[in-house]
Amino acid sequence: MRARAGAAASLGRLRVIDWAPLLVLVLLCGIIAAINPRFLLFGNFVRIAQAAMIPLVLAIGETFIILMGSIDLSIEGVVALGAVLTSLLVKNGANAHDLGVAGVGLVVLTGGLVGLVNGVVHVRLRIPSFMVTLGTWFIAAGIANAALGGIAVRINDPIVRGLVLQRVLGFPWGVWLALGTLALGWFIQDHTRPGRYLYALGGGEELAALSGIPAARVRILAFTLAGAFYALGGVLSGAQLGLGNAQVGQGRLFTAITAVVVGGTALSGGEGGVLQTLVGVLIVTVLANGMVLMGVSPSIQTAVQGLMIIVAVSLSIDRKRLRIVK
Amino acid sequence: MPAQRIERLRRFLPVATLAVLVLIVGALQPEFLNPDTLLDLASDTAVLFVLASGVSFVILTGGIDLSIQAMASLASVIVALTVDRLGYASFVAAVAAGALSGWLGGLAHVRLKIPSFVATLAVGGVLAGTALVVSHQHSITLGATQRAYIGWITGPWLGIPREVIIGALLLFFADTVQRRTPFGRYIAAIGAGEAAAYASGVKVGRQKVVAFVISGAFAAFAGVMLAGRLASGSPTLANEQLLPAIAAVVVGGTAITGGVGSIWRTLVGALIISVVRTGMTFIGVDIFAQEILFGAVLVFAVAVTIDRSKIPVVK
Repeated sequence: MRARAGAAASLGRLRVIDWAPLLVLVLLCGIIAAINPRFLLFGNFVRIAQAAMIPLVLAIGETFIILMGSIDLSIEGVVALGAVLTSLLVKNGANAHDLGVAGVGLVVLTGGLVGLVNGVVHVRLRIPSFMVTLGTWFIAAGIANAALGGIAVRINDPIVRGLVLQRVLGFPWGVWLALGTLALGWFIQDHTRPGRYLYALGGGEELAALSGIPAARVRILAFTLAGAFYALGGVLSGAQLGLGNAQVGQGRLFTAITAVVVGGTALSGGEGGVLQTLVGVLIVTVLANGMVLMGVSPSIQTAVQGLMIIVAVSLSIDRKRLRIVK
Repeated sequence: MPAQRIERLRRFLPVATLAVLVLIVGALQPEFLNPDTLLDLASDTAVLFVLASGVSFVILTGGIDLSIQAMASLASVIVALTVDRLGYASFVAAVAAGALSGWLGGLAHVRLKIPSFVATLAVGGVLAGTALVVSHQHSITLGATQRAYIGWITGPWLGIPREVIIGALLLFFADTVQRRTPFGRYIAAIGAGEAAAYASGVKVGRQKVVAFVISGAFAAFAGVMLAGRLASGSPTLANEQLLPAIAAVVVGGTAITGGVGSIWRTLVGALIISVVRTGMTFIGVDIFAQEILFGAVLVFAVAVTIDRSKIPVVK
């Protein structure tokens, strides 16, 4: 009897936790709109969507990794590398290359390659993912820096620039691309075998491996995919600035991790997903947008995001499963 | 006994690496071996060493502190903003702020059971944001009157750079704490096997929090030294210091899984990083490419020193 009541209570708690991020988002929008009605203007929605597109693409990649209970710290390095490579491969102000869409494809492949290295080193050498990706973060950032030597290269390719400058139904192409990425991420997560395996690994890796799931291969695939997503985020960053430089990645890691955990994906793995991440990204961007509308200094955002990580993680962690926390 | 051989390798490989590196760079550039050049090298290493020896305590428990570079930058800002009014007390205030942030990060990790790398990543974000806000996103250069207060950090004293003396004092302090106090034994026990340490009555949570407090205070002190050396404070002053600091700890032979390691090893690791940097600059390796190498060295050193038996499932 008591056991059943306990189960019901935990089920109820689970439901509240599941819906809490969406509730927070709605409340946040309500409060900001009440303080400053300009929040509700269509132009402001476009602004929010534009600010959310890059974090969304990055956070989808990170979601795959966090679903497995791992972490990927290499985001900023791969974004920088992606933006720099984009600026060197498409029509640009520094060399004669003009690969257009093929160049963008190469950039995404390169990101996938960095992710592949992450995954292979992590799995084969059995090194915790945060350590491997801390290393590749600086390796990728170093390559981006060395490729440009600290300068910035203007991007002149009409298609890449069009991601930000050309609009369809009021929203720039980049926003639609980010939504397409979300759909792809959702499809991989919910309708492919490796996607389902991500949850199994996060839920309990030993059990998953014993039931015949190719854990190593799934891990490597997830890191590879994530790297490709980050590189796409790098392309969008380059498009947004109109130039490639090695500093475009700054602050991206923090926002992405905040968005994933605030959306309700548990750091311990096995719970959450890309749709939750969409909510998390919107919470982070709407809050940033609201702070600007209310005249709060934007530099306080990092501090607020730091607190959000602590609150969200401490609410979502299932402490019964954790005996030793390192 | 292969385990013993590996342990011996762990202990002597870093020292041997350092000796070989010094000889290589010395052969390429004989003036590198002049006592003056070596002292310069030591004083350039001091800040990195202080940063790394603080985080060594956390790594010995098997955790990590990713907030150290943000803390060091914030400490430099605190000094630059308050040295006018507080004088020497501003250095104390900066170090106290470091201890406080370490305490809060430690509590977030221990009480809320947030993994240390996320808890300290988040604390680092809070610190970086705070530094940006209080400095109004500017670098603050110390004026002539303020520079009078930072004389104790730089310049020679009896022919020895003051950074080296400060570093040696902190080495002595940290080494004593790590080897001669109950706390030092406790964190080694926690790193070696947390469940066993807990079962034998070690107050695991409290010891971990103390390790984070030390890490924060040392990071702040490193920030104070940076502010003194550069005569300025800036919210991004210590950026790019996190990776070398963690690399120094790991390259020195302290395992990222905890339990094995010492402050002396961190000193050796910090010197290795410094010599490699000097050598690469001499050979003409571009400063950006050095980052690539440090990233690779970090992963390699972790791969060599890690104790895989402690992590049944590598996440």
